[in-house]
Amino acid sequence: MIAAEMTYRIEDFELDLSINVNPGESLVLFGPSGAGKSTILRAIAGLIEPSSGFIQIGESIVFDKDQKIWVPPYKRKVGYLTQQYHLFPHLSVSKNIAYGLSSHSKDSSAALISDLLEKFQLSGLENRYPWEISGGQQQRVALARALASSPRALLLDEPFASLDSELRRAILNEIRRILTFSKIPIIVVTHEREEAVAIGDEIQVIDSGHTLAKGEPIKVLGHPGQERVASLIGVENLIPMNIVDTSTAEGTMTCVPRNMDSPQIEVPLGVGHESGYTTIGIRASDIILAHYKIENSSARNQIQGTVSEINTNSPGYQITLNCSGILLRCNITGTSLSEMDIKTGSSLWAIFKASSCFIVQDHP
Amino acid sequence: MLRTFARIKTERRSSHPLWMPAGISVTLLYVLFIGLPVVAILVKAAQQKGLFASLLSDTTIQALQLSLVTSIISIVIVVIIGTPFALLLARKDSLVLKFIDSLVELPIILPPIVAGVAMLMAFGRQGILGPVLNSVGITLPFTTGAVICAQIFVAAPFYIRAAKLGFQSVSTDYEDVSQTLGVSPWQTFWKLTIPLASPSILSGLALAWARAISEFGATIMFAGNLTGKTQTMPLAILTAMESDIGASLALSVILLLASIVVLIILGFFANKSWRANL
Repeated sequence: MIAAEMTYRIEDFELDLSINVNPGESLVLFGPSGAGKSTILRAIAGLIEPSSGFIQIGESIVFDKDQKIWVPPYKRKVGYLTQQYHLFPHLSVSKNIAYGLSSHSKDSSAALISDLLEKFQLSGLENRYPWEISGGQQQRVALARALASSPRALLLDEPFASLDSELRRAILNEIRRILTFSKIPIIVVTHEREEAVAIGDEIQVIDSGHTLAKGEPIKVLGHPGQERVASLIGVENLIPMNIVDTSTAEGTMTCVPRNMDSPQIEVPLGVGHESGYTTIGIRASDIILAHYKIENSSARNQIQGTVSEINTNSPGYQITLNCSGILLRCNITGTSLSEMDIKTGSSLWAIFKASSCFIVQDHP
Repeated sequence: MLRTFARIKTERRSSHPLWMPAGISVTLLYVLFIGLPVVAILVKAAQQKGLFASLLSDTTIQALQLSLVTSIISIVIVVIIGTPFALLLARKDSLVLKFIDSLVELPIILPPIVAGVAMLMAFGRQGILGPVLNSVGITLPFTTGAVICAQIFVAAPFYIRAAKLGFQSVSTDYEDVSQTLGVSPWQTFWKLTIPLASPSILSGLALAWARAISEFGATIMFAGNLTGKTQTMPLAILTAMESDIGASLALSVILLLASIVVLIILGFFANKSWRANL
C-alpha cells in the first residue's frame, strides 16, 4: 500500500495533494508535463523531500515532517523506473538486473536473475551491454532490475513513451501480470488515455500540482466532469452552448451553440441546466460521418457541414467539419477516407447519439 | 535564402583544389618539424657507443629511481586529495567553488619556474611559512619532499580537471536509480560513479603522471639539483648534457617512450566514453 499526503514548493511551483494505492492495484497519474507527476514519484522514492506531509509505503512510514522521520531512498525498497530507463552502461544485462542484489547469496540471486530474464523474454541477452539491445529490451531490463530487489511498491514514469504500439501491449500485459503475482501497489505516470484505461485501476488527474479528478479510468476519461480535465485528457470537441429546451421525461436537453440559433444538438440532461448554458464534450471517435442523413435512426443528432480540414491522426485521419460556424472534429480510418472520397469542401453529415455527448463544466 | 547558402557551399567545394596542395604541404612540413627531432633522438642514441653503460651509471640509475618514486608518491597524493575535491567541484554549485575551480587551473598556465619561486616564497627558509615549518623541524627546500611538492603543484590540476569532467559526465539520475535499488550512496560511488567516470579519471591520471615525471622548472628552483636526492630525470638530462651526452640521450629515450605510452593510454580512453555509447 502507498499512502501519502504532501506539499512541495520550489520557486513558483506548488504541489499539494494526497495519494492512495492499495496493494495489487495500480494508480495512473495523468496530466500535462510540468503538472508535478514525476515530482510525486521522486518524493515517494525518496529522491526529494516534500516540504510537509507524510509518506507511507507498506507498513512503514518513510517520511513524516512533523515526527521528523526520513528514510533514505536506499532503505525504502521502492522500484523506480525512469523515462530514460538509466541502465548502467558499464554493466551487462544480467549484471544490471543483479545490481541491487546483495552479494552474499550468490546461488539464490543467480536463480532469481535467470527467472527474471525468462519472464521478461531477455534470455540470450545476458551478456549484451545496454547499447547493444533495442529500446523495448532496455525497458524490460529496467523493469526486471527494479523488480529484482523485491520492492514494496513500483513507480513507473512514462514507461511507454518510447515504445511502439506492439511493445506497449507486451509491457502493459507484463505490468498487469506483476500486479497479479506480486501484489504490490503500482503508480504509473502517463499522458496517454489508452494506457491509462488499460493499466489503471484508478486514475488521478493532476494539473499544476493539484488533483483535479480521481476515480475509475473509464468514468473519469469517458465522462470528465470538468472542462480542464476534459481538455487535459484531450476531448477533441468542446462546445459552449445555450440550453433552449429541457425534457425531464426523455432525460435530455436541447442546446444551440452559444450566440447562434443552429444547429440544435440533443444532449443528456445534466447539472447546471438551470443556468441556461453549458459546455458539451464529444469524442472525435464517437462521431459517424455519412454522405446522407440516415432516416429513422436512433441517433438523435445529425448535422450537416463541410469539410474544412483533413489531418493525419495516426493510425487514421481527423476530419474537421464546419457545421454552420461550429467546428466538429471526427476520427475516421484511412479506408473510410478513400472509400467515401472525402476532400476539403465535401459536404457531409455528422451523426452521433445524445448519450455520446457529456456535460463539461468548470464548476459543478 | 536556402539557395544562396547552397550556392556558397558548392563554390567552396569547387575551391578545394586550390587550398588542398597548400594544406598538404604545410601538414607535411609540420610532421617533419615534430617527427624529425623525435627520430633524431632515437638515431643518435642508437649511434652512441656505450649507451647501456651510461644508462647503468650511478647518476642515471639514481635519477631514474628518484623520478619513478617521487612521481608515484605525487600521483597517489594527487588522487587521494584530488578525487573528493573533483567530486565536490562537479556536484556542488557555489560562487566560492567556482572561484576555486578557476584557481585550480592556474598552475597549468603558470610558468613552472614561477611556481618554483612561489613555493620558495611560501615554504622556503625565508618564506612566509618558513619559520613555522622550521619550528616543528620541517625543512622543505632542497629535499626529496620538495621534489614531490613541486610535482604535485604542477600535476594536480590535470588530474582534478579530468576527474571533475568525469564526474560531471555521470548524471545524478544514475545515482538516484542506484539508490532506489537499495544501494547506499557510498556503495553507489564505488559501484557506479567511479566506473562510469573512470575513462576520464584514468586519462587525467596519465596526463598528471606525464606532467609530474617531466617536471623541471619548479623542481630546480625549489628542490635544487642534488644527485640522488632531488635530481630527477629531466634535471639529470640537463646536467649530463655537459659531461656525458650518452647518459643524456639514454634518459631522453626513456622519457620519450614514457610519453608515447601515455599518448596510447590517452587515445584508448578517449574512445572509451560510456556516455557516447548510450
